[in-house]
Amino acid sequence: MNPAAEGTVYPRVTFPIEPARVAAFRRLFGQPGGVPPTFVSAAEFTALAQVIDDPQLKLDFSRVVHGSQEYRYERPLREGETIAIHTRLESIKVLGATGFLTIVMEMLDEGGQLVVTARSTMIERGAS
Amino acid sequence: MNAEPFASVAVGDPIPELRRVVTLEDVRAYADASGDHNPLHQDDGFARSVGFPGIIAHGMFTMAHMTAAVVAWAGAGDRVVQISAGFRAPVFMGEEIVAGGRVRALDRHARTATLELWVTVERDGRTEWPVKKGEALVRLV
Repeated sequence: MNPAAEGTVYPRVTFPIEPARVAAFRRLFGQPGGVPPTFVSAAEFTALAQVIDDPQLKLDFSRVVHGSQEYRYERPLREGETIAIHTRLESIKVLGATGFLTIVMEMLDEGGQLVVTARSTMIERGAS
Repeated sequence: MNAEPFASVAVGDPIPELRRVVTLEDVRAYADASGDHNPLHQDDGFARSVGFPGIIAHGMFTMAHMTAAVVAWAGAGDRVVQISAGFRAPVFMGEEIVAGGRVRALDRHARTATLELWVTVERDGRTEWPVKKGEALVRLV
């Protein structure tokens, strides 16, 4: 990955919280009603496409493992709402053949209020 | 649901362990639900080609399981204000992951509990830590 891409801000991406998809997630992890907290990862993954495809960043996603993840909820997500995801590359560090990328996504509701902040660190392993 | 009323919680209390055997079927279902179809989590040959002994579970699969343990303790998903995990070891298909944690701090004014969390797996007679430093901030009633 290219350290010069640090600070990149991507166009917002919208993500509908589809009840059927939420239900599949609930079934998989035996959750009670509502949107399971880590359902946010489905929204994140949708917005991640533009990071994976960024020709300036040059991320080799097939070599990426997840280093860490943090979610902060201002309120729970609601089924049926659509959120707008604002993505930025908070930091990029390359040590030898290994790259560390921290991505921040702020997810806003239709009224423009912040609902969730997601911060993830991705590790791109060197070619073996 | 075992909603934890604030008054009955003390620093040091454990949260009940939650165990699960990770199957390829579940990881495939997770790939569909999350949209993450990275071949590391689907294709044994590919996983080997990048240095793993086989398919690994998504880190977020493990974190979702850890979060389920917190939700079971707290009584509802909407009590979780913040949750984080550092992924330290891969999880292979057929392994049993065990999520656990304990109350590290209580805020009587905000009525919140800070939990420290972890996920372990027993492998070749050793304890591995798919999640070593997990943390959650939970609102209690």
